[in-house]
Amino acid sequence: MVEDSYDAIVVGAGGDGPVAAWKLAEAGLSVLVLEAGPFYGNEQWPRPNEDPGGEASSSAEDLSGDLLDEQFTTREFEMITKLVFGPADHERGFWFRKFPGDGAILQCAGVGGTTLHYTGCHPRAYPAAIDEQGHWPIEYADLIPYYQEVEEMCDVAPAPVTAKEELFFRGAADAGWELIEDLNVTEPGYRPQPNAITQPDERLHVDAGYDGDFTYPDVEGDTLALGNIAGNPHPRGAPYEEKAKKASNVSFVPPALRTGNVTIRPNAFVTDVVTVTPRGDTPTVAGVQFRDTWSGSVQQVDSEVVVLAAGAIETPRLWLNADLPANEWVGRGLTIHFGDNVMGLWDPDDLDEAIGSDVIDQHEGQDIAARFDYPGVGMLQTVGTAPGIGAILGFGASASGFAFQNDTPGEPWDTIGRLAGTELKRLLSDYRRMLQILVVSDDRPHQRNGVTVAPGVADEHGPIPIVNYEPSEGDRQRRDELARIAADILREAGASHVHRSDSPPTALHVHSTMRMGKVVDEACEAYDVDRLFVADHSVLANGVGGANPTNTGQALAARTGERIVERHF
Amino acid sequence: MVTNRIDDWLSVMWQSLTSTGGLLLELVGVGPDVDPHTKVTFRAIGDAVMPETPGLAGELGPEHVSGGLAVDLDAFTVTYVDDGFQLGLPHLGPQGNIPIADPIAHLLDSAALTLVERGDNERDPDVDRALSLLGPDDPSPRAVEDVVGPFAKLSRRDRLRAIAIVDEFDVEFTPTDDDLFELDAGLVGQLVIGFMEMIYYSEWQGYDEFTQPPSRRSHPNDRSAVQSWRQTGFPGFADGYAALRGYVGTTDSPLGGGDTWATVDEAADVRIVRESGGFRENDYETSDYREPFPVESG
Ligand SMILES: Cc1cc2nc3c(=O)[nH]c(=O)nc-3n(C[C@H](O)[C@H](O)[C@H](O)COP(=O)(O)OP(=O)(O)OC[C@H]3O[C@@H](n4cnc5c(N)ncnc54)[C@H](O)[C@@H]3O)c2cc1C
Repeated sequence: MVEDSYDAIVVGAGGDGPVAAWKLAEAGLSVLVLEAGPFYGNEQWPRPNEDPGGEASSSAEDLSGDLLDEQFTTREFEMITKLVFGPADHERGFWFRKFPGDGAILQCAGVGGTTLHYTGCHPRAYPAAIDEQGHWPIEYADLIPYYQEVEEMCDVAPAPVTAKEELFFRGAADAGWELIEDLNVTEPGYRPQPNAITQPDERLHVDAGYDGDFTYPDVEGDTLALGNIAGNPHPRGAPYEEKAKKASNVSFVPPALRTGNVTIRPNAFVTDVVTVTPRGDTPTVAGVQFRDTWSGSVQQVDSEVVVLAAGAIETPRLWLNADLPANEWVGRGLTIHFGDNVMGLWDPDDLDEAIGSDVIDQHEGQDIAARFDYPGVGMLQTVGTAPGIGAILGFGASASGFAFQNDTPGEPWDTIGRLAGTELKRLLSDYRRMLQILVVSDDRPHQRNGVTVAPGVADEHGPIPIVNYEPSEGDRQRRDELARIAADILREAGASHVHRSDSPPTALHVHSTMRMGKVVDEACEAYDVDRLFVADHSVLANGVGGANPTNTGQALAARTGERIVERHF
Repeated sequence: MVTNRIDDWLSVMWQSLTSTGGLLLELVGVGPDVDPHTKVTFRAIGDAVMPETPGLAGELGPEHVSGGLAVDLDAFTVTYVDDGFQLGLPHLGPQGNIPIADPIAHLLDSAALTLVERGDNERDPDVDRALSLLGPDDPSPRAVEDVVGPFAKLSRRDRLRAIAIVDEFDVEFTPTDDDLFELDAGLVGQLVIGFMEMIYYSEWQGYDEFTQPPSRRSHPNDRSAVQSWRQTGFPGFADGYAALRGYVGTTDSPLGGGDTWATVDEAADVRIVRESGGFRENDYETSDYREPFPVESG
């Protein structure tokens, strides 16, 4: 049951919110977590997309691996439709946000937030992005103890090698790059992903002749069946906390609930932050208002502290819609790791020579298990997908129009642009012999990029977020450089055809819209509202160098949780 | 950038709003059918994006011939885009979803007119081309002839060119006097190309009925039940694979050790080994960091 008042309210149970909630609750505070989306794998909500179900969950006993197995079907189209940011009710569409061009923002609603989609890649920021790029008021060294704590909670370890990773490593080595063995990366090179996915059972080795079931308790840990973007309930049959992928619902929600101090209230969209201004100067937070997404009823809850963790689009939207004090950096400085896709295709004989098999079979292994780091420029990562997601990510969109409209003389790729029709069918007939590399660039915060709201363009939760993103010349150059390196690695690995998407800006990693040093101070408390904190990726002062951001977002949220207790309790 | 405030579209939007009050009824087969113009236009989209390709039979095999229309990809895409987005405003239909298939169809007509006006079409528009795409369950060609729009008359390639032109548009419409709804037309390309491709290549075709509530959907997870899986070779979803080759390591590396399964880089001693280690908590130094590319302030 939701009480009238708590020590702390956390808005959003995504990647970072549960980390802050756990820290606050460990310190003995009463915490209410309000989450706009549903709670999957919880006995209070046996049919979370069909019925309103229970009100709130305060016990780890409610968590159910069996329900997660049932609800996370691993079927890609169904799961994307289920998880993308929108109300729990399956009859209603996604919540609309305006994004420029034919790009898009991909975020999830539900306990776990966008980590329900995420592929578990948990590298740290590049030290230079924190210490040398001039955006951060704190040092990289401050984050290290928190990284260590998060990595331990999330089982972070070197990702396993299957055929596609071996192929990538061969290409990277032949292209002259060196293997990196470090957590704190300062030089370019390749390495296995530090993944927050429990390593697979060693009996799944290709030489071990395993012919049993891939379900728990026959096997424990990851089962190498891809599917992280679609939720990943593997190994099926495992209790909730034994699921291999450590999305925040599996890593941080159970220990938070186990403190006995946390209540999670899903289907609760926060629409207002309530403040009081007793002395007539800086407002102080007093609580929030939320709307039940099934019934539409509105409720107010009071608290000593409010922690915004609604993600880098909704946190600034909420600030703006709640009419909190104007600050020229609220919503501004958005980075999205301005990305691209470069795809390689192989002839069977060449593949056989490289990896001893004439297919890559990208659907085997983890989605993203090998990477290339380049501090100052960004990163590359291999991506295995089921064909539907592969089609939309790799071929469905381009800033260059259709491939048939473009010539590529002198370029490192054979084709560039969007693909449809016969060309697409021909290419995807080679699905089992293709490998996609995701280009993730270190784009920098620019004030013109970000989130605004406009009166009139509203949904049931107020004016919708209007997002602007236009990379700078330097951002484009970093991305082009990475795309060239990707093409080179694929060629060195023997690819006979290389295709570049030239993707329009597409936001999978979304950060730095409420930046530390601009909107919040070093403890992530707002400069302009007392006792209002932010603990999601919006406080990152930049894009952490292009490395996958969640480890840093969670480390910072853990640190913020401790600072809140020190300052106010 | 062409700014296109399409009065035409507004009125169609209105019609669709009033007619899609019964969207759910439509889904269960009661109530008005999809607008014939929208139907023809989405068949033309489906045919351009995922065409039937007899030419691929010889090259790749007979299973690569069928396209999107053979599995009613066009009809599902209409349902999907109409149900796909919501503003939660009750006057926009029962679930607050914004029906956008009709306006998309009209927007593509404007793009087709622009293409032809610019003289960028490769072949002449032809109404018979559109009519030839009608399926056995569709109204007769004579019944829809009058509603075939300029987009559906284009050749396949020209239809794709027209979709590319939409990206240049900015569109606004006002579903009520109070709500200004501005759509970046790029979303249209995203929906009719990106989403259509994703739907086609996903498991979608295998459901008995995707519009069922999730707990009542069933899917055989069998390659033979999904046309696109037969074309890509995707085997369906699995609980696991015994696909582990090992971990990366070198002789002195903390990353991995044990028996060597394969050598990746002879000179640098990088190998795939049997056992995993861990990453090194290394000391780091960043004072010699230089920006490889220009950095703009702000
Ligand atoms: C396909 C994909 C793969 C990815 N893979 C990786 C990866 O491997 N590694 C990595 O580091 N990152 C990855 N990411 C990015 C990563 O998932 C996000 O960066 C991370 O989840 C962001 O955390 P967050 O807490 O800032 O926001 P979110 O995780 O988005 O959480 C915000 C939460 O707040 C809720 N919410 C929003 N508004 C409100 C409101 N008003 N009231 C109540 N609740 C609200 C949302 O429903 C959501 O649950 C991936 C992303 C995608 C899309």
